[in-house]
Amino acid sequence: MIERVIISKGSYHDSAFLMRLSREISELSGVAEAVVLMGTEMNRQLLADAGFKDPELEQATPMDLVTAIRAEAQENFQAAQQDLARLLKVAAAGVGANQSERIYDNLAAAMQAQADINLVSIAVPGQYAVYLSDQALDAGKHVFLFSNNVAIEDELRLKQRARELGLLLMGPDCGTAWLAGVGLGFANRVRRGPIGLVGASGTGMQEIACRLHSQGLGISQGIGTGSADLSAQVGGIMTEAGIELLANDDQTQVIVLVAKHPAPAVADRLHQILTAIDKPVVVRYLGQSPRVSVAGLSYAADLDQAASLAAAFVRKKKYQQPDITPLAMLGTEAKTPGRLIGLFGGGSLAAEAAMLLGEAGLEIEVPDHPLAFDGGVEGSAHLVIDAGADFYTVGKPHPMIDQTLRCQMIRAVFADPKVSLLLLDLVLGDGAHPDPAPELTETIFQARQQRGLHPLLVIASVSGTDLDPQDLKRQILLLTSAGVQVPASSARAAKLAAAVMTKGAGHVA
Amino acid sequence: MSPDLVHDLMQGPLAIAHLGLEDVMSGARSSGVAVSQVAFQPPAGGDPKRLQKLSALRKPKIAEAIDQANQQGLDKLLAAQPQLVGVGIAGDWIPGMEADLFLHAGPPIEWARMSGPLRGAVIGGILLEGLAQTPAQAEQLAAAGKIRFAPCHHHQTVGPMAGLVTSSMPVWIIEDLHSGQRSFCTLNEGLGKVLRYGAYSPEVIERLGFMANILAPILSETLQAHGPIDLKMLMAQALHMGDEGHNRNRAGTSLLIRELAPAMVRLKRDSAEIAQVLAFIHSNDHFFLNLSMPMAKCILAGVEDLPFSSMLSVMARNGTDFGIQLACLPGRWFIGKAQDIEGLYFPGFSKEDANPDIGDSTIMETVGIGGFAMAAAPAIVQFVGGTADDALETTRRMGQITIGRNPIWTIPQLGFAGAPTGIDLQKVIELNMLPAINTGIAHREPGIGQVGAGLTSPPWECFHQAFDAFYEHCQQLKEVTNATD
Repeated sequence: MIERVIISKGSYHDSAFLMRLSREISELSGVAEAVVLMGTEMNRQLLADAGFKDPELEQATPMDLVTAIRAEAQENFQAAQQDLARLLKVAAAGVGANQSERIYDNLAAAMQAQADINLVSIAVPGQYAVYLSDQALDAGKHVFLFSNNVAIEDELRLKQRARELGLLLMGPDCGTAWLAGVGLGFANRVRRGPIGLVGASGTGMQEIACRLHSQGLGISQGIGTGSADLSAQVGGIMTEAGIELLANDDQTQVIVLVAKHPAPAVADRLHQILTAIDKPVVVRYLGQSPRVSVAGLSYAADLDQAASLAAAFVRKKKYQQPDITPLAMLGTEAKTPGRLIGLFGGGSLAAEAAMLLGEAGLEIEVPDHPLAFDGGVEGSAHLVIDAGADFYTVGKPHPMIDQTLRCQMIRAVFADPKVSLLLLDLVLGDGAHPDPAPELTETIFQARQQRGLHPLLVIASVSGTDLDPQDLKRQILLLTSAGVQVPASSARAAKLAAAVMTKGAGHVA
Repeated sequence: MSPDLVHDLMQGPLAIAHLGLEDVMSGARSSGVAVSQVAFQPPAGGDPKRLQKLSALRKPKIAEAIDQANQQGLDKLLAAQPQLVGVGIAGDWIPGMEADLFLHAGPPIEWARMSGPLRGAVIGGILLEGLAQTPAQAEQLAAAGKIRFAPCHHHQTVGPMAGLVTSSMPVWIIEDLHSGQRSFCTLNEGLGKVLRYGAYSPEVIERLGFMANILAPILSETLQAHGPIDLKMLMAQALHMGDEGHNRNRAGTSLLIRELAPAMVRLKRDSAEIAQVLAFIHSNDHFFLNLSMPMAKCILAGVEDLPFSSMLSVMARNGTDFGIQLACLPGRWFIGKAQDIEGLYFPGFSKEDANPDIGDSTIMETVGIGGFAMAAAPAIVQFVGGTADDALETTRRMGQITIGRNPIWTIPQLGFAGAPTGIDLQKVIELNMLPAINTGIAHREPGIGQVGAGLTSPPWECFHQAFDAFYEHCQQLKEVTNATD
């Protein structure tokens, strides 16, 4: 085995390109591993720790492309080197670029040329995102900050600054927003309507928007705040700004706030603010039991209920707890033996499922480190795994975009006879995988054949709408035809899973 | 929260500038929203320390002071009215000029580190001044420290290539009508074996004699008869006629002849001498360069000592080092290694023969022409096998690292947009984009002359040092703004 790095001077590329390159080179015969990174100090250290000792590595700068290859023999390395050169050449020629669209050299040039720009969207590595955000704010532009890995002090400063300037700074780590009827980042296509969303949780907002859409309603605006907005340090600056906006917005009748794990002091302060608003407000803090509701401020128990409460307020009807368990599914046994494994792409949906399963009396573990998935699933506990967690996605695409890792996990789950229930989520909409169901169902179908007669129930939720580009009906049809149960929401999927585990599942699969 | 700004956003329509992963905008694009994709490059080349400094300089009060100083600098550049007023002898006119003082191009350098062409020029200068009789003696004299060397820039002077100026040489005298500021430059010797490329053979010394004894007096008398010539206007016309003012000076030279000839032929002089002078100018496309360079110097002298301005006031090279100066830190050089030049070589020469970048002629880029006005002279890109579009692109790119545009020097090919003017150190660092330079290539051995022409850039080191110094300089501002808070 030989380990070598190739330095390509002065050629910056974005992470999507780097991942594609890594993948293409890894797939060459005789190449055990290939990683393509920009030569930042952190990345150089990462490679050095991984055993790449090439002295050339020291010389690389953040503007240089570093390709680290572990190959079986010298000729494999050389072949990889040639392939890299070819791929870079193709990229330099700009194949695939949208030729009709003007591409600006830098942000200042774009803002100067297009004076009507009102929003700057930033999806670059975190270490550069702060500088660009400042530049956008300086120019009086709102910011959609998709990038993560931004220091909390920087986030606080940027948000304070935005607030002073009367601008929105959505993020960092803001995956989803809807402004003026336009979805940004990972966003389902939903109709416009009377419900305004504020969210520190991208998939949480997506799920609520989908549930509202399926009930014939729509959203006025969806203001993403970034996942850390309700932390003690940031103190909910953008959440508060978003609530104020929606409170004063004529198009918004009902406000829904969704966030993950708010700091208690922040939740307390928001409670005061929200009770003073003269529009109905629904709050869902993911992964937590609801606080006590007061007049005009309802804390929902799950995302489903959050959407239904909002719908009831709009329709001025009394909210009714739906009966969600399809009785036909339930058997008479005491409970289903074996393990439950949840494999999620949406982090918020994972947290929500873990909480709902826990509330049903199941002992759920949420691993905080990557697990091995070779021929089975590590340990013996019920697990809810966020396959989009940072430790799974370093240098790899998110499972909502690329299902390679999750399919590998699914095969391991099926190979493990101790597992009896697999819980999945599927998030559709813009930004997500263009057609996820075929790959998933093919994986499940093949894995089931390998597994033989041991029963394994698969339950999946689909966060999507009939307007989404993936064709919601087809996605569901493909899943159900592979024997997957597809309840109407992520909360229902988790509750069904809980019911099956605790009360039994009759004849399944 | 300002209700207006956010209200506008929420009402739409959205107009988005997007940086990074394209898929993030797939929804917006499919909704028909105008998305301007920005080709993201890490600011400051991804260097965390410089990025931090850039951010610190962006703090509102500091940024405001810098922008104000830069605007003031740009106003000064545009307000200057440099005129060609006469021809004199270096020793009489250049401030501080003395018999044993030799001026050279670029930042300060001692004999031991001088490159071939500069050494050759020094030898030629010693011979011209009669300080030694043979090249070998001249070399000994220089090596023994008998000659004092100083950059032209320290004496309001500029010189192409070696840029050697000795006290007996005739020089152009340029004066800014606006400020009275003067600048100087020798007269251009022509092509081939010439002193500025380090040649010192008898024919070189003989030509310098002709220039001092015939060319200079006739030009001096002509100018007295004609009166001052507005160089900025002449430059403006030359840009419309295919010059960029550094590598191509054919139009400028032609315009100068047109301007001078009627007054010259009326002089009470031997017509053969006048014909010789006109033929000499005509034979040398670069004759005008020695006027446009001091014109640029005269303009840029106006921005020296402009606290907190991030504008460059000097870029110059001596064949060994490349040096720059900042408007806010006058007289302080930031130095890096002179770079090789990408270019085309005259028949019989190759890259092996080339000396690294040399000459004060980068004053043209510093003032906003030369490489910055490449769009005006598409022929120039042929030196590197480029296309006319590359020329437009270069000028467009240089517009991103400059403070403003010069409304007098317009470029027809860009819809008469002004030439990008006033190099902004902060933008160079932020956008990781070096100034583009058009230049001639000198042979590395003394006495051979020009071997080609092409394009080059300054070394990063001098910009990185200058940026650190600029950051330090701006710390004063921080104290001032803190005190007033």
